[in-house]
Amino acid sequence: MTRTKRKRTRPAASDPAVLVAHGLRREYDDLIALASLDLRVPPGELIALVGPNGAGKTTLLGIAAGLLDPSHGTIHICGDPAGSLPARAHTSYIPDTPVFYQDLSLGEHLEYIARLHGAPDWPDRASQLLEQLGLEQWRDKLPTQFSRGMRQKASIALGFIRPFSLLLADEPFDGLDPPSRGVLVEMLRTAAGSGAAVIVSTHRTEIADISSRCIALHDGEMVYDGPPDRSVIAGAA
Amino acid sequence: MVAADQASGLEALRDLRAARRRRYAEQVDWIETLYRMYLGVILGGWGLALISGALADVRVDRHTVEQIHRYGPATLGLVVAAAVAGGLRSGARGGPLVLEAADVQHVLLSPVDRGAALRGLAVRRLRTAAFVGTVVGLIVGNFAFRRLPGPTAEWLLFGGVFGATVAVSGLASAMIASGRGIHRVAVSVVCVLIVGWSLADLFGHRVTSPASMLGELALWPLDHAGDSFVLPAAGLVVAALAAGFGISGLAGTSLEAALRRAGLAAQLRFAVTTQDLRAVILLRRQLASETPRSRPWLRLAPAEDPQRAIWRRGWRSFLRWPLVRVARVCALGAVAGLALVAAWQGTTPLLLVASLALMVAAFDAVEPIGQEVDHPTRLVLLPVGSGELIRRSLVAPVVLMAGVSLIALVAAIAAGAPGPLIGVLVVTAVPTAVLSLCCAAVSVTNDPYAYALAPQIGYLQTGLPVALVIIGVGGPVLAARQAALHGTSALGVAVACEFVVLPICLGVIAWLRYRTAKRFPVGS
Repeated sequence: MTRTKRKRTRPAASDPAVLVAHGLRREYDDLIALASLDLRVPPGELIALVGPNGAGKTTLLGIAAGLLDPSHGTIHICGDPAGSLPARAHTSYIPDTPVFYQDLSLGEHLEYIARLHGAPDWPDRASQLLEQLGLEQWRDKLPTQFSRGMRQKASIALGFIRPFSLLLADEPFDGLDPPSRGVLVEMLRTAAGSGAAVIVSTHRTEIADISSRCIALHDGEMVYDGPPDRSVIAGAA
Repeated sequence: MVAADQASGLEALRDLRAARRRRYAEQVDWIETLYRMYLGVILGGWGLALISGALADVRVDRHTVEQIHRYGPATLGLVVAAAVAGGLRSGARGGPLVLEAADVQHVLLSPVDRGAALRGLAVRRLRTAAFVGTVVGLIVGNFAFRRLPGPTAEWLLFGGVFGATVAVSGLASAMIASGRGIHRVAVSVVCVLIVGWSLADLFGHRVTSPASMLGELALWPLDHAGDSFVLPAAGLVVAALAAGFGISGLAGTSLEAALRRAGLAAQLRFAVTTQDLRAVILLRRQLASETPRSRPWLRLAPAEDPQRAIWRRGWRSFLRWPLVRVARVCALGAVAGLALVAAWQGTTPLLLVASLALMVAAFDAVEPIGQEVDHPTRLVLLPVGSGELIRRSLVAPVVLMAGVSLIALVAAIAAGAPGPLIGVLVVTAVPTAVLSLCCAAVSVTNDPYAYALAPQIGYLQTGLPVALVIIGVGGPVLAARQAALHGTSALGVAVACEFVVLPICLGVIAWLRYRTAKRFPVGS
């Protein structure tokens, strides 16, 4: 995959948006995963990112997180290019497949990630998250030995342990039982309520109840950007 | 809501890595490890001394020393240039560092300086490469001092330094290409320039490129009275600068490539552990982004005769080889030819290089068979027995390997091979192609889990084909050389040896057919 230098153009300093993307495009050889996307996400907004498989949702979140380089266009997080050091401090990413160290317990993961991000109150926050997600007894266990749902909950805890201005969650409801889905909905709502921008990629229609905006992608193109609508979400899925 | 503190982040990184090292150290059985190291060093050293003494190679004459003086630095420079070019190509595809997926996800996405986070890993990689390079250099130096004039200690010292420098140069080049995000096209241009510069030195009998300067360093013990050490020292300085430049740019490493390599490397380690050679080949190709061409070099018309379907299937596979694989197989053929010439002239250990070069080329040539075994469901549904299918699938790869043998022959003639050796290579070309191909076919069709409970048999299963190729390729040449030295017909001895090699080939084919039919029995 060839890498393209990102333009260092910054959005206007007065722009309060957390995420600003202009002409964002990503190609995989002949395949266009994302086709010239323009997007602006203000603080406190909770966006449901929907679309069928291969629509470009994971690619968009990967670029915003700094994991993928765009082929064309620019994307800024709180005024800094995605993937740059200041942008990484603002961005929390929950991947679609949980990733853990094989030799660290869940508690050690939480401590490590919190400290990497300079979270001062991490012990209290960790206890609160573990209680919320029903993981208290699993604190000293290795996440690589967890079931699919437990791994997903552990991954969510890692996404929330550190401070963020932008939360990117890729299919976070996958593998969760209904009570856990309810807990996650509440956590997402709280995050947005506290001023963070939240983008959740999902096929679940219940996201319509809490989201403030819905973006639908199809074959890399944005086909809907408006108020949350269950029919749009169901249709996109 | 955001609190990013670089210093505390780096401190957390250091603490965690120290804790993980401690935990790892606690789990290691040190007595067992030290015992294994002790055995390895003793047995390795003893084996090396035994082989060195047994080969008892003759000292080179004055003419050869002059030839080495003239061509040696640039020839060794070509080796350095190849290592640098290989490193640059690897770097353009995301190498050389292999990170854990969790490190990419949690460390490289955190607000910690990526350069600082990756520096320790890069230094460890450089250290390991330097160590391995030193060991290889010492082994080569051990053989060099037995044939070439010059103090023993110097051959060992400079051999070790040269080996370490080649390894570090290759790795540093990869770090530069990866960290600085150099485009693949630019890398290809730089590779051509670097190798071209070394070739120009070789044909112009000069030492102008840093690679040739390092070559001069390796040959320093040969006859350095009155020579200046400026050029070899300059080569060392360039290699050290490259390493520093590579480490300083690590922050630019692509996360996408790092994530892809993390997954592949984990699979590769597992495949190596289970001695699954086919998986190792496929994963290595994925790591190098070596994919078949979507448009073949030449489009073959459909076969009207069903008997020819398997033959055509093989050639369709070869006609989709990427340029890099074509170049690699040709280069391996040339290396084999050059090594055989040098072995004929007295450097016996190079028979090993020639055999292994042909075996590696055969691993590429055996691809159509590998594809059949990769898709066992289709294999057993065909209206032909799986053993018979594999036997018929050998024909196209054997013809290809005969072409590789031909390249070896041409390279040997170009390197000034004497008449008796050319005759020997002509006689052994086809049996060598058949044996190396069949042994590669046996290796890639091995069931890696067949001897999971008896690993010693697994090692035998992996090692026997390699040993057969070394015996089958090296044996006739060695016997013919001895015959030539004693004034008898080298060609006659080579022909006689092939009467031993050919039954071995037939035996390997029969074994391959029997084992495949047993492993995939439905269609048989």
